[in-house]
Amino acid sequence: MTVAPAQQQGGGTGNLYDVLELVLDRGLVIDVFVRVSLVGIEILKIDIRVVVASVDTYLRFAEACNRLDLEAGPKKSTGLPELVGDMSESGARGKTKGALTGAAQTVSDAYQQARDESKREEEAAPRKRTASRRKEERE
Amino acid sequence: MSTYVYGIARVPVPSLPEDLTGVGDPPRPVRVLEQGDLFAVVSEAPENLTPKRRELLAHQRVLSEAGATKTVLPMRFGSVSDDDETVTGVLADRAAHFLERLDALEGMVEYNIKATHEEEAVLHRVMADQPELRAASEANRAAGGGSYEERLRLGEMVASAVQAREAVDADTVRRTLAPLAHDVSEGPESMGWLANFSFLVDHDTVADFAAAVEDLRMAEPQLELRLSGPLPPYSFVDKTGAGAGVGADAGVRAE
Repeated sequence: MTVAPAQQQGGGTGNLYDVLELVLDRGLVIDVFVRVSLVGIEILKIDIRVVVASVDTYLRFAEACNRLDLEAGPKKSTGLPELVGDMSESGARGKTKGALTGAAQTVSDAYQQARDESKREEEAAPRKRTASRRKEERE
Repeated sequence: MSTYVYGIARVPVPSLPEDLTGVGDPPRPVRVLEQGDLFAVVSEAPENLTPKRRELLAHQRVLSEAGATKTVLPMRFGSVSDDDETVTGVLADRAAHFLERLDALEGMVEYNIKATHEEEAVLHRVMADQPELRAASEANRAAGGGSYEERLRLGEMVASAVQAREAVDADTVRRTLAPLAHDVSEGPESMGWLANFSFLVDHDTVADFAAAVEDLRMAEPQLELRLSGPLPPYSFVDKTGAGAGVGADAGVRAE
């Protein structure tokens, strides 16, 4: 299970990726001070998720259901393969790339880096995720 | 020389690690500017500061250190003042406001929780809840997977059920944990979680909050929960400001 350390004292960063958005998007803003790199921060706020309503998603869900062992409990592994769509992921990334420039790309890279780290952590205990999470990974 | 501001807190200044460094390459030494009842945690602002991962981490690390023993108002990343005098000027001019916020947040920390669905478990869940889905799935399976149209139709029904479940589960996360917190704030919405909330939790009841998260995890096996904290109260520091705490009273909406 992927759990950022909850009891870490002194404001442990937990999973960096999970708190990056708060560092960037929340916190006190004082008008007298200049904010750096506002462009990158604004672009991050664009909703980059791919809608769940797509033929790819439908077929993937149908496939997953087909393999689902309905008699088993929800936690029993059925050996469902990782269907995280490499095919769709690469396509979506290609599309977004052109829109991200300069500081925004830097931020995007920063997120990606942190996300990759988070993925590596998860490899210890792989779990399948639904479309909503996968959408995020298509960024 | 411009000044990078990390956060604002009430004197006395706690002891910070002597070698504490902040943003920049090389990382700039962190220092403190005192003014009246307040102090600001600052460093030199490097030229061409960009929101790189390393810089974001530095900002968070400095606030973690400064906030380890007392309440600190965290600045948003990238707040740069013309010089030290401007910082102390702001502390003097707006002391009442900062002190009010510090009082309101005294002894509180932020916990951020993000939720996604564990695919197999949520599929089981929607199948269990909706017999027609189960029937359609079994019919397809009996037909060796079903035709393209049949698979598409099943998939669409399942996707719709999972989406509806996202909204239900987001509401569950919020309703379960809100009573253990002083305040709730919806996180930035762009990252594709079914739920992304920050909770303002009293330091003394952090263990109860963590236990409630653990209970929720057991009760709702389709949810994958990621808990981060304790954090400086990023989402609660400026309730009137744009972008901070605006979601606190908004209805839960799963995207």
